[in-house]
Amino acid sequence: MRVTSNTFPNYLVNQLGTLQTSQARLQTEVSSGLSVQQPEDNPDAMRSVLDLTAESQASTQYQQNITQLQQTATAGSSAMQSLQAIVSKAGEIATSANGVQSSQQLSSYSDQVAQLIQQAAQIANTQDQGSYIFAGTNSSAAPFTVNTNSNGQVTGVTYNGNQSVAQTEIAPGVTLSAQTVGENTTGSGPRGLFADSRSGADLFSHLISLQNNLAQGNTSAISATDAPNVQKDEDNLAYQIGANGATHSRLQASASAASAQQTALNGEISQQSGADLAQTMLQLTQTQNAYQAALQTGGQMLKLSLLNYIQ
Amino acid sequence: MIGLLGTLNLAARSLQTQQAGVAVTGQNLANVNTPGYARQVLDISSSPDLLTPIGPEGTGADAAAIENIRSNILDQQVATEKSVTGSLTAQQQALQMAETALGESLTSSTGSSGSTSSQGLSQGLSNLFNAFQSISSNPSDPSQRQSLVSTASGLASQFNQINQGLSGLRNSLNQTLQSNVSQANQDLSDIAQLNSQIVLQQQSTPGSANDLKNALQQKIEALSGLVKISTSTDSNGTVNVSIGGVSFVTEMTQNDHLALADAGGGQLLVQPQSSGAALSLTGGAIEGTIQARDGGLATLQSQLDRLASNLITQVNAAYAPGFSSNGNTGGAFFTGNSAANIAVDASLMANPNLLQTSGTSGNAGDNAVVLAIAQMGTQAQSSLGNQSFSQSYSGTVAELGSAISSVNDQLTTQQSVANLLSTQQNSVSGVSLNDEMTNLTKYQQAFQASADVVSTVNQMLTTLINMKTG
Repeated sequence: MRVTSNTFPNYLVNQLGTLQTSQARLQTEVSSGLSVQQPEDNPDAMRSVLDLTAESQASTQYQQNITQLQQTATAGSSAMQSLQAIVSKAGEIATSANGVQSSQQLSSYSDQVAQLIQQAAQIANTQDQGSYIFAGTNSSAAPFTVNTNSNGQVTGVTYNGNQSVAQTEIAPGVTLSAQTVGENTTGSGPRGLFADSRSGADLFSHLISLQNNLAQGNTSAISATDAPNVQKDEDNLAYQIGANGATHSRLQASASAASAQQTALNGEISQQSGADLAQTMLQLTQTQNAYQAALQTGGQMLKLSLLNYIQ
Repeated sequence: MIGLLGTLNLAARSLQTQQAGVAVTGQNLANVNTPGYARQVLDISSSPDLLTPIGPEGTGADAAAIENIRSNILDQQVATEKSVTGSLTAQQQALQMAETALGESLTSSTGSSGSTSSQGLSQGLSNLFNAFQSISSNPSDPSQRQSLVSTASGLASQFNQINQGLSGLRNSLNQTLQSNVSQANQDLSDIAQLNSQIVLQQQSTPGSANDLKNALQQKIEALSGLVKISTSTDSNGTVNVSIGGVSFVTEMTQNDHLALADAGGGQLLVQPQSSGAALSLTGGAIEGTIQARDGGLATLQSQLDRLASNLITQVNAAYAPGFSSNGNTGGAFFTGNSAANIAVDASLMANPNLLQTSGTSGNAGDNAVVLAIAQMGTQAQSSLGNQSFSQSYSGTVAELGSAISSVNDQLTTQQSVANLLSTQQNSVSGVSLNDEMTNLTKYQQAFQASADVVSTVNQMLTTLINMKTG
């Protein structure tokens, strides 16, 4: 082929342009650590990275949801522990009252139970982050209303909450609630903490009955009715504490799973979009060498023509 | 016998011929870097022999013609490839601008995790559903409501901005079409004018319009870059041009002009000014721009609209039956119906406490509505081809990326083809300094030799004259 004066300069310009484009691309890969930055770089990898990033961010959110549930479960757990101490104490009093003849002693027991009722009522209206934790989903108002007589004794406790719990997603399509409802006498749905028709628990009624029977010295009723009833409350509470513990374990397991999934997802994202530094550096060096060679030879050849030798 | 005087005449004509050779060489050297210039060569032919008793005697040489060295096949191929390159370059530019408007790029965070994160709508969609997740895990927290409304508003703005960017791009592509069409009309008019100049010049001196033909070829190449044309060359060197089967230039006459007509909704198409039917274009920047506008860009816009419209419909359908903390129900979360006008409901923006989180009235801790919306984030939507919102969007991004990647690959190949053809064209028609310097020396030497002949004949004549006088 006949090579003219513009053949070589044109070829050199094209070649230098191609090499400079390669260098710019490789340099960007090295400096950013990414082999894919724009959709056009690798559409399939871009799609995977966007999908995986969305999954990873959802996973982060699930971990935050789990943390929130753990906080709710912990608040419930702590209240249940305090309540257990109260019910246990009431059970002890019911047992101790059997055989006590002294009305003064029984009256003292009655006062103690009255105190326990007050404490239990206080726990029943526990708040966490502005919400009443034993109110079901009606969590903006205190779930338990305590009625007292002129002596300050609790005569009845009314439950204003409901039997619904809010579910939270902890993995795609998997929901869980860390809430415990205060009462459930419907026979279905989540079991009530203070009163539940399935377990026969009705903490406030049973304690008020115990308080009244103690005050009236009605020890036979205490041993026949109140002591077994308080036992039912203790059993119900033990069930709830167990369920709360199970929720904690499940949340912990879910948190570990979400964390492991996120690590795996980030690994996949990095694999799809990350630049192979060693290979990229090697390619960059090769391209730079080619560029230098093109510049050097081009510079020499451009200057030469027959003109250099005609005197 | 031509005799001494005949020889003197022969040498004198030789001097003129070599001089013409130097002039042609000078012209070539002067135009070594002129775009579109085809080298010229001096056609030298021997003068007719004179029959003598001892055989035919030469009478020297004459400059017969100055020829332009062009290859019609290569010229036509170069023009054809310019159309392909023009179309692909226009598509690449338009689609890359769409990619920029979409703003979906990956960055590597410099944080300790060094993780990759995406920018753009995909992040916005994740943020929206995560904000619904956050509020579902703590439905009565007022700060979560504010955060959700801000996040949703940010996503709506992203949709609006991207749509605005893509609409702006569509407008600027239409403007490019207008300027390309007016440039193409100018080129067509120039071609008709050059044709008439060629005819005029060649009437007096046939084959003399070398530089005009160079200019004509340049115009044809420039026009081919804008729009794919068919050409036919007449015996007189003029070129007829037709586009999409319609004749635009016949010899010296421009039969028609290109015009743009709106086919509806700003879809400008090219047609001949004299008739209403859109031309079927197969190459050139105009075709590439139309293809990118009505192909990749239109698909991108409709997919974004579909995504926004589905997001509005699905979120609102789940949201409307919900109850706010003060018992309001039936409200809308998003307003609008497309990427252009999606927005968070104005009253909700003003008062995030109106957020309808609960499935039942009066239960502040009920999160049924926000949980249902949060769960949509990972759920397949039948209206989006059984993909989640994020997946549908990443599919859109990948589709645009594939379109650009495909054009990039084609353009790389096309540029190699165009470079090769250009090199071949240059090989035939280009000026070589070495060739010309050799020719210059050749003509110079021949000129000197002819001058020596003149000098020798002169001496011989002087000798003869002196013989007579002596």
